[in-house]
Amino acid sequence: MLTAEEMQILATSLGVAGRAVLFSLPVAIAFAWALSRPKFPGKWIVDAVAHLPLVLPPVLVGYFLLLLFGVRGPVGSWLRDAFGIQLAFTAEGAALATAVMAFPLMVRAIRLSFEATDRGLFEAAAVLRAGPWDRFWSMALPLAWPGVLAGAVTAFAAGLGEFGAVITFASNVEGQTQTLPLAIYSALQVPNGEETALRLAAISMTAAVTGLVLAELLQHWARRRLEA
Amino acid sequence: MSLKLREAVVRRGAFRLSADFETPTDGVTVVFGPSGAGKSMLLSSIAGLHRLETGRVEFNGRVLEDAGARSRIAAHARGIGLVFQDARLFPHRTVRGNIEYAERRRPAARNAPIVVEIARRLEIEELLDRPVRNLSGGERSRVALARAIVSAPELLLLDEPFAALDGRRRRAFLTLLRELSREQSLPMMIVTHQVDEVAEVADNVVAVTAGRVVGHGAASDVMRRAEFAALLDRRDLGARVDAGAVAGGHGGGGVWIRADSVLLAAEEPRGISARNVWRGTIASIVREIDGAVLVSLATEAGYISARITPEALADLQLDEGATAWAVVKSHAL
Repeated sequence: MLTAEEMQILATSLGVAGRAVLFSLPVAIAFAWALSRPKFPGKWIVDAVAHLPLVLPPVLVGYFLLLLFGVRGPVGSWLRDAFGIQLAFTAEGAALATAVMAFPLMVRAIRLSFEATDRGLFEAAAVLRAGPWDRFWSMALPLAWPGVLAGAVTAFAAGLGEFGAVITFASNVEGQTQTLPLAIYSALQVPNGEETALRLAAISMTAAVTGLVLAELLQHWARRRLEA
Repeated sequence: MSLKLREAVVRRGAFRLSADFETPTDGVTVVFGPSGAGKSMLLSSIAGLHRLETGRVEFNGRVLEDAGARSRIAAHARGIGLVFQDARLFPHRTVRGNIEYAERRRPAARNAPIVVEIARRLEIEELLDRPVRNLSGGERSRVALARAIVSAPELLLLDEPFAALDGRRRRAFLTLLRELSREQSLPMMIVTHQVDEVAEVADNVVAVTAGRVVGHGAASDVMRRAEFAALLDRRDLGARVDAGAVAGGHGGGGVWIRADSVLLAAEEPRGISARNVWRGTIASIVREIDGAVLVSLATEAGYISARITPEALADLQLDEGATAWAVVKSHAL
């Protein structure tokens, strides 16, 4: 059904989006938890940082990443010298750019879930000798599970379609950083590329819709399990 | 065992609770007062769920919180259990999962009640592997209680734990609490606003109204005082009598005899069906706002009040210091 080339592109996309979600999920959970807490000093800064990728042009995010993680950037040069890791223009870089762009989506879904949890249950856990960390792992996280799941799957689906930040930071290298939207863009640049572009578009649509349906189903299932 | 609150003030929105008292907590202590008096808040503050604005809380000589010294032991480190009115079972765990949550966090040094044993005692054995969402109100109460007992706290606070139960089952649950308190050597502090329950179960009473603690001490003592009577509905006025002094009374504790259910006789009654007849001296005669008369009789079972009409009082020709008989049907107890 799919050509070897299309398989390669799909695999790159799935890999990039998958790694993006995997690495940013713990950070997103931490941010969402902090933002779901009552007021604390500096909360607005955390809030702003979490939402920044939503309002910045994706190209700009990619450019910032390049300045920071590029081979001559402060973090990028340190990573190269200390660990021999290069992010710019690699699949890992594409994952990083995707992660940053999908971050606000994830934080929002998880935060709503944290906020919707009955605080009374935490009190009940506290009087059974569960400390703050214990309560987070044994109560907050399992109870927010549907939101975490939904956030992750939505971010994954959205990550499959990330364009601006990825092309700026990771470039459009066939077989390495060329994800579905980048491949569609390339196909449109060559004469008679419409058919290729259409096929890729269909694949992209299918993947995104599958992701959304999956998110909905998972969330439904998880909520039913938690219903009191 | 004793609980001490010194000039403790807790504020929640516009509501302010102030408490300054020391009470023994052996056996069962009842926190009594009308709805909205601050009973739940008092319990939450002792458990460490509300921060004190000023004052301090001590339990068995250990300072739990001292607002002045800015020292505070967090709720999870106090070793004080709390059963909430709404049970607050964990929805992502089964009944067994809920109870084991408590078991896993119990310090090894604490004397350990066995999960299965407690489950049997509370008749929730068959529920153990069920999710908590389909439980009835009564079942939820019992699971919450089992969870709290398995946690082996040094003091167990219970906020109207039988709110979901009807009259007869409430009674049974109360008796069970009393027995469990004794079996597990677990002091309990129970909130209620039913005066019969106070008389029946309380060794000690803390009386609360309008955000203030207005009385505390042994039940037999506190329940006799004017501050306590002031908390009661008019139709609830009466007196506490030790259960042992009453025909048809059961177990330890006491019985609340409502003034409305007491007959007064000027001569010793003979040939009547009532099982409880006490001879006494009239200690006081008080006219109530609507004209009814409250007569208080000092008997060997303690003070007993009777509410009678002014006409009846005139017929009986009773005065303070006179001898009279109080008659109560067992059924009214």
